Amino acid sequence: MTDSIQRAARPLWPAGPPGSAPLRVRIATFVRRHKLAPYLLLLPALAGIALVLLWPLIQVALYSFQNYGLPQITGAMPVQWVGLANFTTTLHDPEFWLSLRTTVLFAAVVVPVTLVVGTIVGLLLNRLGKKMAIFVSTAALLAWATPPVSASVLFYWMFSPDGGLVDWALARMPHWLVGSTDWAQFNWATTSALPAYTMIALLVTWQAFPFIAVTVLAGLKTIPSELNEAARVDGASPWRVFWRITFPLLKPIYLVLLLLSVIWDFNIFTQSYIIAGLGNQDEYNLSLYIYDKAFASFPPSYGLGGALALIFALILLVVTAGYVRSSVRQGALT
Amino acid sequence: MRFTRSAAAIGATVALAGATAAIAGCGSSSSTGASSAVPAKLVVWRMGGSVASQVTWMDGVVKQFHTQFPQYKNTKVVVDWIPWGNRTTDWTNALTSGKGGPDITELGNTDTPGIASQGALANISSYVKSWSEGSQIIAGNLANDTVSGQIYGVPWFGGVRGIWYNKDQFAKAGITSPPTTWAALVSDAKALMTAYPGSYGLGAPSDYTNAIVSFIWGAGGQVAVQQSGKWVAQLNTPASEAGIKFYADLLLTEHVSPASYIGETELGTVGATSGGSNEDFALGKLDMYIDGPWAESELEAVSTKNESQWASFPIPSESGPNPAPAFAGGSDLGVWVNSKYKQADWDLISVMDSPSNATTFANSQGFFPEFTSALSSGVYTSSPVMSGFAKAAGYTQISPLNSKNWATADATDNIIPNMMKALMQGANFTTTVDTANTELQNVLNTGSES
Repeated sequence: MTDSIQRAARPLWPAGPPGSAPLRVRIATFVRRHKLAPYLLLLPALAGIALVLLWPLIQVALYSFQNYGLPQITGAMPVQWVGLANFTTTLHDPEFWLSLRTTVLFAAVVVPVTLVVGTIVGLLLNRLGKKMAIFVSTAALLAWATPPVSASVLFYWMFSPDGGLVDWALARMPHWLVGSTDWAQFNWATTSALPAYTMIALLVTWQAFPFIAVTVLAGLKTIPSELNEAARVDGASPWRVFWRITFPLLKPIYLVLLLLSVIWDFNIFTQSYIIAGLGNQDEYNLSLYIYDKAFASFPPSYGLGGALALIFALILLVVTAGYVRSSVRQGALT
Repeated sequence: MRFTRSAAAIGATVALAGATAAIAGCGSSSSTGASSAVPAKLVVWRMGGSVASQVTWMDGVVKQFHTQFPQYKNTKVVVDWIPWGNRTTDWTNALTSGKGGPDITELGNTDTPGIASQGALANISSYVKSWSEGSQIIAGNLANDTVSGQIYGVPWFGGVRGIWYNKDQFAKAGITSPPTTWAALVSDAKALMTAYPGSYGLGAPSDYTNAIVSFIWGAGGQVAVQQSGKWVAQLNTPASEAGIKFYADLLLTEHVSPASYIGETELGTVGATSGGSNEDFALGKLDMYIDGPWAESELEAVSTKNESQWASFPIPSESGPNPAPAFAGGSDLGVWVNSKYKQADWDLISVMDSPSNATTFANSQGFFPEFTSALSSGVYTSSPVMSGFAKAAGYTQISPLNSKNWATADATDNIIPNMMKALMQGANFTTTVDTANTELQNVLNTGSES
């Protein structure tokens, strides 16, 4: 410990003229006594973060209490403090609540689906032979590695009423199976929020499950095989083995995966921007709504955008607090 | 940690905008002294996609500009093409960053009042007032570019929407003359669908305000009217409701428009480059298509198979015989507030918008010039595509689409598109229209929905 402190302190206090030696020693003692070394080491990183993250965050917070827009930027009108007006406008906008509902419902459906599909593939990978496992994991990871923009365009085409595969196939199925909708003319992207987000849910699940699968697989490798063997000798079904042995042992991993998935699915922007687009306000999720208010609207309102960013950050902070807590509990952060 | 990233991204952009605004402020204040200087280049923002014939026309204009104003003989004129869908974002970015903006910009005539009141355009009143040819400009259209007594743009060309059709298809379906009432429009659409199985009769995209207003006006209704200085929205009067219902019923009860146009503009999904009613018309999958004559170059790009048969007629009114009033669309030219060379900007505008150049441009593109003298010529009646539009141009309206907050009501809050989409999804008619009416009235008066 002493050595590391000395080494850390040295660049900060280079050897000065002979008379300064006692001061150096005194500072070193002060640092050691108050256990400041770790904080000193963190200081450069903190300064960097403060510059690129904290300062803009403070700016956003300030704008959210102002009427900051184009005339204020050009200087045509003065910047005014408007108190909580931006927040009350937002909370009184039915579109805000609609987009919040869409966001929450979307996460409520997609998070469990992703976790279940990811787990199943993870369990499968654990049992496959080496060659097959490489094949399946490569195929899955390719989906994960596809850029969201390319994947969104791909899905947009597949679901397009102008010769898309999905509409073509659905239109050829009997009515008792797929309902009486005119599928050949069905526009998944623009008709309403439910079809658009059905499409986005499939897309996001497809892109997100490989990460879950690989993480679950890594967890499975840590479970001693004796446990599974013993259970099987005792005549336990695979279902029972999973719920009695695998799941309890992987619970900390699942907690983290659950919270990460919630955060990711709350933040969906690329996919909804490309598929639902800015023209259809009944298909906004929270990210799209914020983008529209802050940048795509005319005239743009940076104050309103700032207020929305704060509200969104607050919602995710609640979720993230849970994430950090569970991370600390299982020792991931120490 | 993703939340901080997204929040910070917005924050950083906003902070940057703030920082550069200060710089922009300096730039514009120092530029006033240099406004008569000779620029090395002038940047002109044109809307839409680059079209060869328009490029040729502009080359001619630049040549005239150099001879007419010898002091600018070394000035380069650069034309940037801005897709219509990106225009407000691009203007906003140019304004907030103070960089990358144009010297001269084309504006949709419904944009000009809103953009001007946000401080993006230079006050060109003095130039316009000493412009001898300006007296010939249609007075009402120049008034559209005037905010609080100051002029911020000059009308450049106008255009109206009508209905495109194929002459041979009409003949095969036994239609002898274009419909002049709504009943005839629907029965003709159905006759075309019978003659051409698998096609749709008349496209009715839900995100198409500039066509929907023609049906409101065509039933004798109004979108909004001004009463003692305040806007009163009139979407829920019986006449307006008849027009709105007719348009929604093209899909809902008459089934002459496909369901895939719900949530689409006439050009398809916002931002998409394929699909949409324009493409379907060019491919022969849609029999009648609502748009202006300017659509021709885009239709040709999709397919020229049926081009020789293309023709147009005005959007009918409810019970004829005169057409429904068409929205008087068009473009203006304005000087960007941050341009350093306002005198040169104006000089170039005066060449682009001289009666002869503006008329040549309009004639070649299927537009109408903004000069009363040029409109009376017979050039429009000779072409089958243009004759219908020329007829429609005799019955136009613009209010309230030129009001200060219209851009917010339509481009930002999508009030009429949202209403039409909800109706096409089967929402309750009365409550949907009433809600839209209240929102519209609020936005037109205050700039905000609630």
